[in-house]
Amino acid sequence: MEQKKKKGKNLSRRSFLKLAGGTGLAGATLGLTGCGQMEPEEAIGGEGWMPAQYNIPASWPTQVRGRVPIDPDNPAIVRDDRKCVLCGQCIEVCKEVQSVYGFYELPIKDEIVCINCGQCIHWCPSGAITEKNDIDKVLEALSDPEMTVVVQTAPATRIGLGEEFGMPVGTNVQGKQIAALRRLGFDVVFDTNFTADLTIMEEGTELVQRITGELDHPLPQFTSCCPGWVKFVEYFYPDLIPNLSSAKSPQQMLGPLVKTYYAEKKNLDPKKIFSVSIMPCTAKKFECQRPEMVDASKFLNDPQVSQDVDVVLTTRELAFMIKQASIDFHSLPDEEYDQLMGLGTGAGAIFGTTGGVMEAAVRSAYYLVTGEQPPEALWSLTPVRGMEGVKEATVTIPGAGDIKIAVISGLENARKVMDGIRDGHAPWAFIEVMACPGGCQYGGGQPRSSTPPSDKVRNTRTASLYKIDANAKLRNSHDNPEIKQIYEDFLTVPMSEKAEELLHTGYVSRAEEFDAKKPEDYLHEV
Amino acid sequence: MEIITKKNRTRWQFKMTPARGIMLFLALAALAVVVVRLIFGLGATTNLNDQWPWGLWISFDVLLGVALAGGGYGVALVVYVLRRDRFYPIARTAMLTSLLGYVIVVLGLLIEVGQWFYFWKPFVSWGHASVLFEVFWCISMYTVIQFIEFGEIGTKKIFRGAHKYIKKAMPVLLIIGIALPTLHQSSLGELFYIMVGKVDPLWWSPLLPVFFLLSSFFVGAGMIIVESRLSERAVGHKVETSVFRGLAKISGGVMILYLILKIGDMAVRGTFANAFAFDLQSVLFLCEIVFGCLIPIIIAFSSLGKTRNGLLWFGILTVSGVVLNRFNVLFTGMGGYLNRFGGSYFPAWTEFIVSLGLVSMACLAYLFVVENFNVLGHKSDKAKKEEQVEIKIYPSTATYEQAGK
Amino acid sequence: MAKAVLVDIPKCVGCGGCSVACKLWNELDWDPYGNMKTPKDTAEEPNNGLWPEEWTSINQYDLDKDGETVRRYVKTQCLHCEDPACASACFSKAIQKLPEGPVVYNQDLCVGCRYCMLACPFDMLRYEWQKAIPGIRKCQMCPTRVANNMEPACTSVCPTGALKFGERDELLAEAKAIIKENGYIDKVFGEEEVGGTSWLYISDTPFEEMRFRTDVTTRPLPSYTDKYMKATPIVGVGWAAVLAGLYVYNNKDKDPLD
Repeated sequence: MEQKKKKGKNLSRRSFLKLAGGTGLAGATLGLTGCGQMEPEEAIGGEGWMPAQYNIPASWPTQVRGRVPIDPDNPAIVRDDRKCVLCGQCIEVCKEVQSVYGFYELPIKDEIVCINCGQCIHWCPSGAITEKNDIDKVLEALSDPEMTVVVQTAPATRIGLGEEFGMPVGTNVQGKQIAALRRLGFDVVFDTNFTADLTIMEEGTELVQRITGELDHPLPQFTSCCPGWVKFVEYFYPDLIPNLSSAKSPQQMLGPLVKTYYAEKKNLDPKKIFSVSIMPCTAKKFECQRPEMVDASKFLNDPQVSQDVDVVLTTRELAFMIKQASIDFHSLPDEEYDQLMGLGTGAGAIFGTTGGVMEAAVRSAYYLVTGEQPPEALWSLTPVRGMEGVKEATVTIPGAGDIKIAVISGLENARKVMDGIRDGHAPWAFIEVMACPGGCQYGGGQPRSSTPPSDKVRNTRTASLYKIDANAKLRNSHDNPEIKQIYEDFLTVPMSEKAEELLHTGYVSRAEEFDAKKPEDYLHEV
Repeated sequence: MEIITKKNRTRWQFKMTPARGIMLFLALAALAVVVVRLIFGLGATTNLNDQWPWGLWISFDVLLGVALAGGGYGVALVVYVLRRDRFYPIARTAMLTSLLGYVIVVLGLLIEVGQWFYFWKPFVSWGHASVLFEVFWCISMYTVIQFIEFGEIGTKKIFRGAHKYIKKAMPVLLIIGIALPTLHQSSLGELFYIMVGKVDPLWWSPLLPVFFLLSSFFVGAGMIIVESRLSERAVGHKVETSVFRGLAKISGGVMILYLILKIGDMAVRGTFANAFAFDLQSVLFLCEIVFGCLIPIIIAFSSLGKTRNGLLWFGILTVSGVVLNRFNVLFTGMGGYLNRFGGSYFPAWTEFIVSLGLVSMACLAYLFVVENFNVLGHKSDKAKKEEQVEIKIYPSTATYEQAGK
Repeated sequence: MAKAVLVDIPKCVGCGGCSVACKLWNELDWDPYGNMKTPKDTAEEPNNGLWPEEWTSINQYDLDKDGETVRRYVKTQCLHCEDPACASACFSKAIQKLPEGPVVYNQDLCVGCRYCMLACPFDMLRYEWQKAIPGIRKCQMCPTRVANNMEPACTSVCPTGALKFGERDELLAEAKAIIKENGYIDKVFGEEEVGGTSWLYISDTPFEEMRFRTDVTTRPLPSYTDKYMKATPIVGVGWAAVLAGLYVYNNKDKDPLD
């Protein structure tokens, strides 16, 4: 009885007419009588679909909804609306993992807050979000016979690129990558590992000076090689900008050196040098366009010299170029980097993973403080290894005592520590922060893995980097002969006037561009 | 060109002249464009866009065509209802023009609307809140009625059996045939009344329907004078000057009423400043009033109105005035609003071709009908002679005709 | 009873999810060049970014607020008037207002005269000019979803709460509370405009700077013509009667005309 009643209710006039004579007759009947109220089904549209999470009664809350805003002017990240399925993953990673979206007040001012990290690219299931494609700029430079196109490859690209060609996760393709770049027409191939070592020299010296009080800057010192992290500080923690190391990132160190040091050595016109970098990172595209990153031009006092790094390509873009050029990646020989800035140590190599910068810095800091080589134990600093969000350790360096350090990856983790520091909880001397969980090896520019972002892939890639370090002849940045050479021939000593000019930088507060949420407002929200 | 259909032994004739050749060419070109329009859509054949959903076709073919053809109901009112018999000589041509005008309007509408094959939908779905519903009903019914009215003449030559019934029904047909256009002429104006704030205040007014009605009435006289002078050259049928003068006076009288209402309306709504701002809107508005209304009134009631040429000018100015008015309401009146974010519209050449082609078709049809049916009433001696010759050649036709009477 | 949507303009971050939702739910084509168009570009288009296949557009306006440049995104689509001019203008009832709120269009009834486009006080209707058999295209406010107690596609995906779906009277009250709390401009656009609309907008920047037609009448537009339409049959019959009388009177002592 109950059931029957229900059925009768569901049989509307329209469905009855449909039963009686089909839609056409129903329409005609209603039309002829001239009193037909249109039924919702007769309206145009509504033929498509929506993800299931949205097909619920209006009064029910939807947990995951919408998508992250991406400004059309974003220098690093673009989205193809045609592929977007509104799954909400991008907004989740931005909010829950990186603590960017949802951590600013509305209304916005004139800025869509974005740290360009590109984690949304990895989470996007339909490939709608990608890096901003800059391949054409590089192809144009390559086709210019007068241009010397110099390329650098980041520590993490060599263990990622192979995946694009069907190799197992974490395969080290350093040699093939160099060979491919040469086949593509790049004139000089340098290793960002070299400037990673240089960064350690500069940043390590700075850290030692901060600890000894030689340099009147606050502790803890934050690493500054992750552009996403730097922008995050500029946005949300402008009061902590003095804690950021003034040392540039390895990419931005190699940029001006190519147009000064290398040009000088090879007697090249700096205006005719086009500097490209292959990065596992989308934020690097933003970093190279920062207005202050024109130090070569300033140093040479020649406004015609272009920005320090002209174009950044992601690992994925390089893979695309190789495929487009029909280069059989598998059959390429292993080749070597060009000399002068092509030699990196094991310490430089592990920059590509979370904890790597810290480990490299500790090795050299030990040397810088004591003048002696670090002990074996510092060559495998296990407390800072692994995928945990916040890792802490204490390192004892004779002469400097116990130094407390922290390693963070993922900005939601960084935010907790930063809020702590603001509240006076800052026992550390040095903190390494990588915006992307797991560090650069899973950066926004790395190959999209076959599985959703997972620690399994992160650990495999990281293991490959540690293997490079373990097998390296030189494992300390200060032992790199090319580093010794550049200081002898060009820079004199770490943090010299010339080094400050070319290898160090300043930061700007972005707090004016939006209203950051206060911790008390977002803590109870999560 | 002579076509003889053996079946009913009726003789059709149609003379070919260079002017008619051009019109035939335009008509064919228009047909070609219509084919393209039906296959590829309005976007391929017009410059219409989302800011300008209405353009040349609707303004020229509908707003204007209806107004210009409006002479028919005016003359019918004067001649048949008010029995001013001296205007009888022009009654039939006026009504024929009107019929052809409406046929062209309906054809124009059919290609203008997007889903022409659904033209009948309003009859069944009954959207009676729409002013357009009223226009649609009146125009379609009036076109049918005009056909039947014309049937009174037509059945003298073909379908002769129906003649006596139509003759009997004529008074009813005439009265409905006057009432319907009165309604839709005013409704055409009322169409724009819902576009509150979109039409320039110089034209947007609660009196829009009255203005449209009155102007459609007075333009009728102007149109009859112009077309009579044209057909005078084409078929040698001459209408007396006094008839024209009488028409001009009636028309002029209505114009005075129109002008008084217009000024009153402007005073009430305070738009004098707009009228004399001498911007585009104001200049076109003043042109419309001065050349389309004031000067014709002066001609109608002065000695200028006694000459055939003066009356021709009356006709030309009146017709141009109403043409300008209808264009003004849509284009000038709406332009400021519709173009405010950079929209624009100028008719495509294909739109011009279709409009000209439709007019050509109407002219050709008019000439064909005039030469084959007893429209002009008092036939010239020459024509009468020809008829006698015809009877001699086809005695069977003549006897049949006599028997029918 | 009648549903509505409240658009809290300052809460919009311009993610454009709503327009993608519209595309998905209504199976609208992607303009091959559409993806290159930015919200800034669409804000400058004469038709406000709305096309037959774009039923909603997110338009970006860079405005000056207290000496600072701020950007505001305005979601543009049919406002679904309470008493819609387009529906009253339609002589074949192809556009109708549903009791739930949406103003919907059925192409099977449409003749294609486009009078609705001119009648619309907000110029939101678009026409398929490029098709041989064209129809009107505009936001339908997802009538099948709304009738089944679901949100329209666009509002269901909004991550910031810039789009809120609910009962019109409740949303109006909420809108006024938000205005008071945040110091917005003291106006709910759509509360009274053309007699009220189902889409309501609140803003902290002037509406007229974001292409809102603030000069529009508060009278429902159909009320401008409904008296005329009601009088028409009476006037018509009366006028015919007068004509008949005159005809009889004037023809009394005269020979009938040939």
